Amino acid sequence: MKITHEIKDTTIIITLDGELDASSSVILDEELSDPEIMTYSKILVDCESLNYISSAGLGVFISHLQRFEDAQIKLIFYNMQDKVRNVFEILGLDLLMTIVSDYEEAMTIADE
Amino acid sequence: MLYRTNAKSLFVTAALISWSLLLANVLLAAESMRQESSEGLALPYINNLLIVIFIVSVFGYQRLSADNLKGIDFISYLWNIFAKAGIAAYLSVALYMGYRLVVNYTSVQSPLLLHMVYQVNFGLLVLFLAKAFYIWRQLLLYHKNRFLQIAWDWYELLLFATLLLTLLNFNYSSYIFLPLLILLACYTLFLCTNLKWVAYLTFNKKGRSLVLLLAILLACYIFSDFFYDFADSPALAIDYSDVGFLVLAMFFVSLYTLAAFLVALFSLPTSSVFEQKSEDLLNFQRLSQSIQQGQSETQVYEMLFDSTLRASDASAAWLEVFQGDEPKVWRQLTIEEEQIKRIRHLLLAYNIQNIDYINNNLDRNPGFRDLTLPWKSLIILPIKSKKHLFGVLYLLKDIEQGFDRETVNVLRTFTNQTILTIENLRLVHESLQNERYKEELKIASLVQDSLIPKNFPSDSWFEIATHAKAAKEVGGDFYDFLQLSESRIAIIIGDVSGKGISAAFHMAQMKGIFHGLMQQDMPPSEFMKQANNALGRCLEKTSFITSALYIIDYRMKGFMFARAGHCHTLYYNSMMDDTFYFQTDGLGLGIIRDKSYNNHVREMYYDYNPTDVMVIYTDGIVEARNKENDEYGEERLRYMLTQTYHLEAEDIKCAIINDLEDFTGPTENLYDDQTLLVIKFKPTQPSE
Repeated sequence: MKITHEIKDTTIIITLDGELDASSSVILDEELSDPEIMTYSKILVDCESLNYISSAGLGVFISHLQRFEDAQIKLIFYNMQDKVRNVFEILGLDLLMTIVSDYEEAMTIADE
Repeated sequence: MLYRTNAKSLFVTAALISWSLLLANVLLAAESMRQESSEGLALPYINNLLIVIFIVSVFGYQRLSADNLKGIDFISYLWNIFAKAGIAAYLSVALYMGYRLVVNYTSVQSPLLLHMVYQVNFGLLVLFLAKAFYIWRQLLLYHKNRFLQIAWDWYELLLFATLLLTLLNFNYSSYIFLPLLILLACYTLFLCTNLKWVAYLTFNKKGRSLVLLLAILLACYIFSDFFYDFADSPALAIDYSDVGFLVLAMFFVSLYTLAAFLVALFSLPTSSVFEQKSEDLLNFQRLSQSIQQGQSETQVYEMLFDSTLRASDASAAWLEVFQGDEPKVWRQLTIEEEQIKRIRHLLLAYNIQNIDYINNNLDRNPGFRDLTLPWKSLIILPIKSKKHLFGVLYLLKDIEQGFDRETVNVLRTFTNQTILTIENLRLVHESLQNERYKEELKIASLVQDSLIPKNFPSDSWFEIATHAKAAKEVGGDFYDFLQLSESRIAIIIGDVSGKGISAAFHMAQMKGIFHGLMQQDMPPSEFMKQANNALGRCLEKTSFITSALYIIDYRMKGFMFARAGHCHTLYYNSMMDDTFYFQTDGLGLGIIRDKSYNNHVREMYYDYNPTDVMVIYTDGIVEARNKENDEYGEERLRYMLTQTYHLEAEDIKCAIINDLEDFTGPTENLYDDQTLLVIKFKPTQPSE
């Protein structure tokens, strides 16, 4: 699992590459727990290379969901593979989180 | 043992009798010599036989009583020779002096008394030689090899063979035997070069052994002198210097004593080096054994500090041990905190921290000169493995060129051994932790196992088949049922996120919530809302539970269900001959922890037909992977049901599981728990 981030103005783009399992979700949790992340208005998660997400990985996003919502930070997933999207959907997370098809769409939603 | 004791007493008796007979015979011969003034002995062969018997008995006795070497306390052996054998020499001197005094005072020539003294001295000599001979043998054979053992055995054999000369009354000094005896003497010379034990004496012990060796040499001299004086004496009826064996034995004992004395004397100056080396060795041994002795890292560092100090003879030192990233001065010797700080500051400026560094002339370096330290040499030894820096050892010496190459090598070996020991200690510790963790897992899986019902109620209107396989680490799959009334049964399936103890714990909570809430008989969606509310207060933030609850009512021929983030239910409708998944919305439990969850759960009611099949499972089934990392998937599962719906529930289950195992291939360790429930509704009506 490789986690990288890129900053564009008030937007932080987190790219997930590989499989988000129990051990790599700890790194993601550290990334999302960084107090600096609260200074951005949008968090975009690029899931193009995310091949698998475990319940621990989902748990990390779920645990931060409320905090971002309270701070009015938008959390948007894009470029998600069908397999991974299915996991989100079965759990019902697609109704809670914003999942869009590509980067452009993500940016327009984010700018609303 | 009995044989030994018997043999010993036999030897003692033989020695005593032969010596007494010899004395009697000699006295008799002396008496007859005086009266008849005839030369020679009356019965030389009997005398020779008695001599040989006496010598063999005494040597045999000493041979049996010589113990095996115990430890390296050589001083006690030397003391043994001196105390038990050397005294014999001084006794014989005293005896002879006494005889001379008596003769001088009374001015009476008493050949009988002289013979008596001579005979007693002969006994003492044989005792001395036998004792010394066998103790020297023990020391000579110290650290022996096979060759030396054979050489010695032959030597002993040849030596005893010379007794034959005495027995047959040959003169050993004749031209025939002299070359043989000289050869034997050379053999002795060769054996006397085996003095390995001397090297193991410390300086002090060498000093003491020199004194003892000198005393033993003196004893040899006394005996030789005495018997040499009386050799071929016309006043005596017998001459023991004619016994070649005794001459050779005396030659061996005195030569070996002399060799030991000289070697000990000349190795005195180098003994401290040898002592240091053997101490280093001992310290290595202690370090490497510290794991078995269950010592802590602190003790290992302590051992390192003391051993390196002794090995290098350093005048000041300190040891830093890293705790986290911060080095902490852990031990220091004759150096001030202030000085350490200054040296470290300088090293930091030179950027030579925590690396191998030797400076044998600190004064030449302006930086160190400015510190005005009382030391002239410095060595820095980091204690680090490839991955980890454990600590740094600093040694200082008040002379230039204080750390030569040999010392540095020894010090490095010490630090390397320490690294090994510490790493091993940590490994042992980790594996113990692991063991404990495994034990906990075992308990957790026992708990999990006990939470899953073993028997479902069997009824005439439906059949149920279950499959549950836990991953190696405890997962969080569970299922349960509750008979609500005679015609209604509630079935729950769930999956707790995460693994291990906490998953098992949450499973138990979920089971409690299921049994608690369903006592009040509520619709599935209401159950999910209340369960979410209850779990919201006890689940940790990153945990959630997916679940699906089915309430089947056979009187109404229908079931009601709600899904909370759990896998879609697979269904076969026999009326339409169709296989499909129920696509309902439903958010997992514990994801939203307030009232807004209520909007995220849906309930569905479905009328079933006889021979309909419902397949309930966890994600461990559909997310199972093969070697190519493909997932089993919902589609393949659905296809399996279209092929098997006509079978009994148990057979459908087996078919699916077999297909799943075909797909994943043989794997020992499951990645996730797999749970599968197959429910088939039966056409027969229940009898009321």
